[in-house]
Amino acid sequence: MEPVLVANGLRRRFGDVNALDGLSLEVLPGELYGLVGPDGAGKTTTMRIFAGLMDPDEGTVHVLGSNPTDRRSGVREELGYMPQQYSLYGDLSVIENLRFFGALFCLERDVFIERTNRLLAITHLESFRDRRAEALSGGMYKKLALACALLHQPRVLLLDEPTNGVDPISRGELWELLYEFVESGMGVVVSTPYMDEASMCHRVGLIHRGRLLQQGRPADLVGRFVDTVIRVDRHDSGIEAVIAEHGDVILGVSPLGGGLRIVIRSQAADAVAEALRGAGATIEPVRPGFEDMFLSEIRAGGGT
Amino acid sequence: MSDLITVSRLCRSFGSFQAVKDVSFKVGRGEIFGYLGANGAGKSTTIRMLCGLLQPTSGSAVVAGADVARDPEGVKRRIGYMSQKFSLYPDLTVFENLDFFGGAYGLSGRALRSRIDEVLDELGLRDRSRSLTSSLPGGARQRVALANALLHNPDVLFLDEPTAGVDPASRRDFIALVRRRVAQGTTAFLTTHYMDEAEYCDRVGLMVAGCLKVLDTPSALKANHVPGALFEVRTARRGDVTAALNAIQGLATIQRIGAGLRVRYDPSPGRDRVAESALAADPDAVVEAAEASLDDVFRAVVDQEAQ
Amino acid sequence: MTSSTSRPLTPRKVPRFRRFAVRTGAMARKETWHVVRDPSNLFLALGMPVVLIIVFGYGVSFDLDHVPVAIIDQDGTRTSRQVARDLTASGEFDAIADAGEPEDADRLFRRQEAAAAVILPRGMEKSLARGEQVTLQVLVDGSDGGRASSVIGSSAAIVRSASIRAAASGLPRAMVVPIRGRVRTLFNPELRSAVFLVPGLIAYVLAIAAVLLTALTVAREWERGNMEQLFATPVGRLEIVLGKLSPYLAIGLLQALLVLAVGTVVFDVPVRGHMALLAAGTLLFLAGTLSQGLFISVLARNQQVATQAGAISSLLPAVLLSGFLFPIENMPLALQVIASVFPSRYYVELLRGVMLKDAPLAVLWPQLAAMAAFAAVMIVLSTARFGRRIA
Repeated sequence: MEPVLVANGLRRRFGDVNALDGLSLEVLPGELYGLVGPDGAGKTTTMRIFAGLMDPDEGTVHVLGSNPTDRRSGVREELGYMPQQYSLYGDLSVIENLRFFGALFCLERDVFIERTNRLLAITHLESFRDRRAEALSGGMYKKLALACALLHQPRVLLLDEPTNGVDPISRGELWELLYEFVESGMGVVVSTPYMDEASMCHRVGLIHRGRLLQQGRPADLVGRFVDTVIRVDRHDSGIEAVIAEHGDVILGVSPLGGGLRIVIRSQAADAVAEALRGAGATIEPVRPGFEDMFLSEIRAGGGT
Repeated sequence: MSDLITVSRLCRSFGSFQAVKDVSFKVGRGEIFGYLGANGAGKSTTIRMLCGLLQPTSGSAVVAGADVARDPEGVKRRIGYMSQKFSLYPDLTVFENLDFFGGAYGLSGRALRSRIDEVLDELGLRDRSRSLTSSLPGGARQRVALANALLHNPDVLFLDEPTAGVDPASRRDFIALVRRRVAQGTTAFLTTHYMDEAEYCDRVGLMVAGCLKVLDTPSALKANHVPGALFEVRTARRGDVTAALNAIQGLATIQRIGAGLRVRYDPSPGRDRVAESALAADPDAVVEAAEASLDDVFRAVVDQEAQ
Repeated sequence: MTSSTSRPLTPRKVPRFRRFAVRTGAMARKETWHVVRDPSNLFLALGMPVVLIIVFGYGVSFDLDHVPVAIIDQDGTRTSRQVARDLTASGEFDAIADAGEPEDADRLFRRQEAAAAVILPRGMEKSLARGEQVTLQVLVDGSDGGRASSVIGSSAAIVRSASIRAAASGLPRAMVVPIRGRVRTLFNPELRSAVFLVPGLIAYVLAIAAVLLTALTVAREWERGNMEQLFATPVGRLEIVLGKLSPYLAIGLLQALLVLAVGTVVFDVPVRGHMALLAAGTLLFLAGTLSQGLFISVLARNQQVATQAGAISSLLPAVLLSGFLFPIENMPLALQVIASVFPSRYYVELLRGVMLKDAPLAVLWPQLAAMAAFAAVMIVLSTARFGRRIA
């Protein structure tokens, strides 16, 4: 299968900040690609370059074989983009926003009506057709923005932090929607700062300081994580002492509820667990997540 | 343990709309309390009442010894507020921001200076004090916002999605800082949409349609509020497997995640029964028992409410 | 590797010009929705010009009325008293109590008891009788420039007429008003400034309203983040520019109609020429000034800057460089050059030509052409400077 989006060695500076530092990736049709990384990692810059809203200083992007900044190639007709910031017209109603974007893509009237009805139905926005966009809740707004980006049935869809500020229920609906479109063959790139959303994607690129640390299927990425993660039910001076004593094999300690979450080098895991039990703690193993994965990549990559 | 927040039968209406209905809970000294809910569930209305910004329609709330209805100014003096969308001035330095906000809390002169120094030390911002706030990386900026909220030594700290978007390492540092504060007797009240943020709270309350539906520790919530059993199925033939899983009695929810599915059965047919059906539909399917997450709790509680 | 990517792009079914029209139409319709959604803006857009023209129409009148004048009659003869009476006969000047000596004028100006002083020199009657030229000195309080120049003009005329009358009555002929510096005559033959001012006011009011109307539209979309979404669609820059212009052109024409109506009804200004010529000129003028606002908006990306730049760039040329108040021929060359760039002066010339003189197209075509050129240049500039990139 030929990729629908190919990025090669993208670099982009803003002043003395390297927003993108040699980023390359490919997205296949029917693939949901997750660009996962914290704020400031370069996600939005990447998305804007993909959408043709920004030129890279170096490197190339091809969407369906064309440069996305080239308006004449018709690539924009095949590209859907949902920016991170609010960018619909707040003073226009739901249906007016849809009409406007439908007209920019020159949709025929009957096609527009059919698609709008379908999109409004699956986004549960039918009863809000005449509500102004600015009066929608965060989740509803995002669904409208998604509908606007999908009206012209793009073959490539770019979503910049679509779940930001959206409650868990609406977030679940948003992902359901995405799967439906991906299944029809659309290639989707979605960015998120939330590590736990990585598992929702077919393939994930962990982005940090403008570079991809790791790329692959979520299960494979977590599978590469070799250290042991445990949960300790308490946090007192005895536990502190054990942690201090085993400082060389303990890779990370973070609060979890009233206790601690500890990442240990696997070969030393049994010894540390024993010592912690000796200090009166109850221990249970925890499945490592993307956050652990991300942190261990940063450690391995020498990033601070 | 004394309670720093006591809410009893709190209600608030806007016209005929009841935003908060009969909410009661207590938060003890030295506790991190997580307050969750969908958009429009009444979360922000509750917080605005607890911060003395909005009068309750009925019921009462006492925060750090001050009644929110009778002494809102007293409440404001005793609480600190930190938001993810912080209100720092990006064109001022860290010190200038703290100096300004300290002044707003009535601190001045030498007392303010020494307080700023203390907070900067506590949060590891000493060497950043002359940096422009806009030039700081996300994690450091987050800590400045926290420093700001801690300047006047509040008894209760309100944190609004405090770590959203911050990189994992900074986020863990941040949580550790809040933990340390809390261990010294401050109470933290946190609101968020993100379940991983909720995981580091001592107790979590979940709002649905204006009511506080459940309130417990994260582990107890996961143990008691996700009935049945959860499984994750990895498969390349999602459609066939979904049909097969649907045929098993007791399917409660089925959810796509990435290339796989997450299913909940109540009552549980057992892993073997699920695996058997899944493998019949796709011989390459992998079935694993899954742990309940707070997301599952959220879903289950909202589903229950909808029925 | 990249050249082999996937299927080719889907061929587009709709022909190119159709797509252009559809997208421009979509922009125009959306812009109209914005206007309709916030009717207070529409009322402001239509109400402001009417209020402005009424306020200015009454306020910026150069017709003089009861200006206090100190008449310093050093001659004290029949002739000097006759000249003094002539000066006050029109009602423009009120003579205040005898001032005595020329030195008193200064004191009277400072106390604001007089705005001008006329000195009728000793021996005036005798000199006139001998057929000599007599010099009347007129002192004017220059602190109020506008009134000063009117006073100068008015008194010059009165003295001239007095001198004609003197000549007719057998008195010697010439009286000269020796005012050094520029003497400007801003009144028209009928001594009614409305006739002369209203066409200028129309240009002024429309220029401000039009520039401000569009100065915000693009900046607002930048500020609210709409551009990011817009630029990710196939819409082109020219489509955005033209789409945004058209609804405001309609509003602008409505403004023009209102202002003209007020001018003719309230101030009784005639329209002697062809309405078609007037309409064509107005359309071109509006196209130019609206595009000017759009250009500012494109450059500013920020509503606050756009408002200020819009106000200044429309106000200055419309007030100072349009010939509305100050004749362009009298300006330094540099200002004349600048004035000939902005459409305001051509529109003022066209309005005066059509409304007052019934000038034909044969006379006014250069004005039309100049305004069309300005509009074209502004549209091209707006389109060219419209950055299709976020950063």
